[in-house]
Amino acid sequence: MNKKSRTRLLIATGVIVVVFVIGVVFLVQKQGAYYRQVSDLTTGQYDGKNVKVGGRVQDGSINRDASGVHFIIQDLTGKTDTVKVTYSGQMPGTFDDGVDVVIIGKYAAAGGVVSADELQTKCPSKYKGSASPAAQTSQ
Amino acid sequence: MITLGRVSLTLALVFSMASVLFLALGMRWDRKDLLRNGYYAVYGFFLTTIVAGAVLLQAFLKKDFGFAYVAENSDASLSTFYRIAGFWAGQQGSFLLWLLLIAIVAVVIALLDLSKVERLTGGAVMVLCIVGGVFAALMVFDAGSSPFLKAEAGMQPFGLNPLLLHPGMVLHPPALFIGYVGLAVPFAFAISALLLGRADKAWVRLSQKWAVAGWLFLSLGIGLGAWWAYVVLSFGGYWAWDPVENTSLVPWLTATALLHAFTLYKARGLFKRWALALAALTFFFTILATWTTRTGLISSVHAFGRNELLIIILTTFLVVTMAASAGLMAWRWRRFESHDQVESLLSRDFLYYLTNLLLTLFAVAIAFGTVVVPLAFDRTVGLDTYNAIAQPLGVVVLALIALCPLLAWRKTEGAELRKTLILPLVTAALSVPLWLYLGFQSNLWGFIGLVVCGFAVGAVIQFVLRSARRAAGPGKSLWAGMGRAFTGSRTRTAAYFVHFGMILVVAGLIGSSVYKHEETALVKVKVGETASIAGYTLTYKGMTGSTGPQDSTTSIATFDVTRDGAQIGTLAPHTDVYPMSGAAVRAVILGQRFEDLFVVTDEPFDSTSKRIALRMVIFPLIRWVWIGSILLCAGAAVSLWPKPRRQEQEARDAVAAADADGRLDGASA
Repeated sequence: MNKKSRTRLLIATGVIVVVFVIGVVFLVQKQGAYYRQVSDLTTGQYDGKNVKVGGRVQDGSINRDASGVHFIIQDLTGKTDTVKVTYSGQMPGTFDDGVDVVIIGKYAAAGGVVSADELQTKCPSKYKGSASPAAQTSQ
Repeated sequence: MITLGRVSLTLALVFSMASVLFLALGMRWDRKDLLRNGYYAVYGFFLTTIVAGAVLLQAFLKKDFGFAYVAENSDASLSTFYRIAGFWAGQQGSFLLWLLLIAIVAVVIALLDLSKVERLTGGAVMVLCIVGGVFAALMVFDAGSSPFLKAEAGMQPFGLNPLLLHPGMVLHPPALFIGYVGLAVPFAFAISALLLGRADKAWVRLSQKWAVAGWLFLSLGIGLGAWWAYVVLSFGGYWAWDPVENTSLVPWLTATALLHAFTLYKARGLFKRWALALAALTFFFTILATWTTRTGLISSVHAFGRNELLIIILTTFLVVTMAASAGLMAWRWRRFESHDQVESLLSRDFLYYLTNLLLTLFAVAIAFGTVVVPLAFDRTVGLDTYNAIAQPLGVVVLALIALCPLLAWRKTEGAELRKTLILPLVTAALSVPLWLYLGFQSNLWGFIGLVVCGFAVGAVIQFVLRSARRAAGPGKSLWAGMGRAFTGSRTRTAAYFVHFGMILVVAGLIGSSVYKHEETALVKVKVGETASIAGYTLTYKGMTGSTGPQDSTTSIATFDVTRDGAQIGTLAPHTDVYPMSGAAVRAVILGQRFEDLFVVTDEPFDSTSKRIALRMVIFPLIRWVWIGSILLCAGAAVSLWPKPRRQEQEARDAVAAADADGRLDGASA
């Protein structure tokens, strides 16, 4: 057993792992967004923070101009809170009034606007888990 | 029929448990009769599962909407092809497909071993039966997971979601599941080898082909999903770092590492613990993928309803898998010590090790960001973070892929290395004008990545040439060995194709992500209005309407496309309106030699619209991703192709000979 080559391998591995872990933790710390509801944002606690918010696009609120698209999303937990969103990236094909969306971006409490970097609509796949009412009642 | 489906699922559970019992006792006491009885129970497990699958399939074929699951995932207007796809369009059917595939694999392994009845194989079949049993139990005990429920009276068939009406989406789920189940086999053999303490090559030899097949289908599944997202989802991309996508990439990464660990395990007796750990980790990650998709605990664009029993069963399964693998490895730690060791940092062994380490770290980081960060830290990780991890790591791994086969085992001399590197350096230099011509100097990091791709192409050519030279033998011409370089070893031939495919994929990923360029324009609905991007001009020509399947209506806006003044085609982005699911905008793509022009509208439009919100995106080199993926899969298929016996023996001799003169590896090049 060659002790020297073994030590060298361990050191190389250690350095790579440590650098990698530090890099990942740093990135997550810096860029990770808090996943919150619309009603959490209106408390003002997340002013200037990266947030990920789910909400329903309010009917008739979609407004488009040269700077991008602007719309309002409603809380999904039954509360009446709303928050404004501006977004200029790619639009998912299914984006429309009444669609559930998830947005990620920076929240500004002044004006109550999220400047979204990412916009996703809920996936169209019909996987429903046990939520299917038809399946429930036929038991 | 519903009752038949339920009964056969329950019997499948009973049979799987019976075989687990027989096989466990047979293994413990080393009794062939018990093992053989276990195999007979596996036949029962297989047959009852087939019956359950057939019941569901005939319900789809016969449009039997008395099955709630059939009514939820198809309707009478769908073609037979898409009705069959309804089988796995929902969660419950997906579980049944998993079970079916596990049963098929278990019975094939049992049949192949029926004449010998080895403990090692018996143990692997036992593990597969446990996995199958978990899925059967899920469908038997959790009503929400069972495909065999009666539809409510008066329930209308929902049909298949229009976005899923695409061949890529029909084949994507089964390809992924075949991949997952294929990769369960090395795990099953690893557990069996650990239980028996057999640290020889047998478990690797028995499971290697399954692992390659699993990797092939997983690659295919991921590729099909990306292609579907690109052409159908119209979000202007093919990969969104969505949790469901991530969790299918993670086992692919560890499976890639596993295949390489297997090579070294067999050739050099190295990486024994790595191979065991990677087999276990890969299986763990495939279950994690299912867990993420099905429990709905990680919020994703594919959000599903929550279901308590399902969460309990799948979470327990995950924890038990992890604990059992780790516990067994700790127990057998010393026995699986490698015979040999990595001596020099400038050797093929070390680069193999480094590649495996980085692939594993990459996988763990993605899993961490996808699952641990949201659950434990209440945060979520976005595109930027994943890209910041993936882009540099992808290029480094590509460089390693390129270099690895060129170095000698154990230790490479500096002089040899310099000689080997000439050709790759030449191709790297030759690729520079191409990247400059395509305008890629705009981003330094992307440019470096692409030059590394150029380097890697030369490295693959060098790899082929060196094999040819060695096959030709001393004093003969290089061409004499060319045929043998490709026919000599299936694994090596596969490596040429897979490595070359991987280079194309990475170059395509860099081109289409780093150099992606997009413009938006609000175009008035008036003939002759234009929008432009990077030399392309789109001129509005008019709008037409049509009707499609499932009572849908389509509005089509037609644009003439010119590039630098010359007409190159027409593009007709459209909006589809489905009465059941609303409006969806659809993208269109015009392929050019080195890039795709991708055009979609940002909002639905129809004949009453005053303007069209046009989004134009240029994806350089994106076709290389698709071509490269096809090569990857073709390469893996080559290594699976069975050899005639005589040739196989020759190949084995050749490998043995090559191993023997491993030290001369670099010198003979």
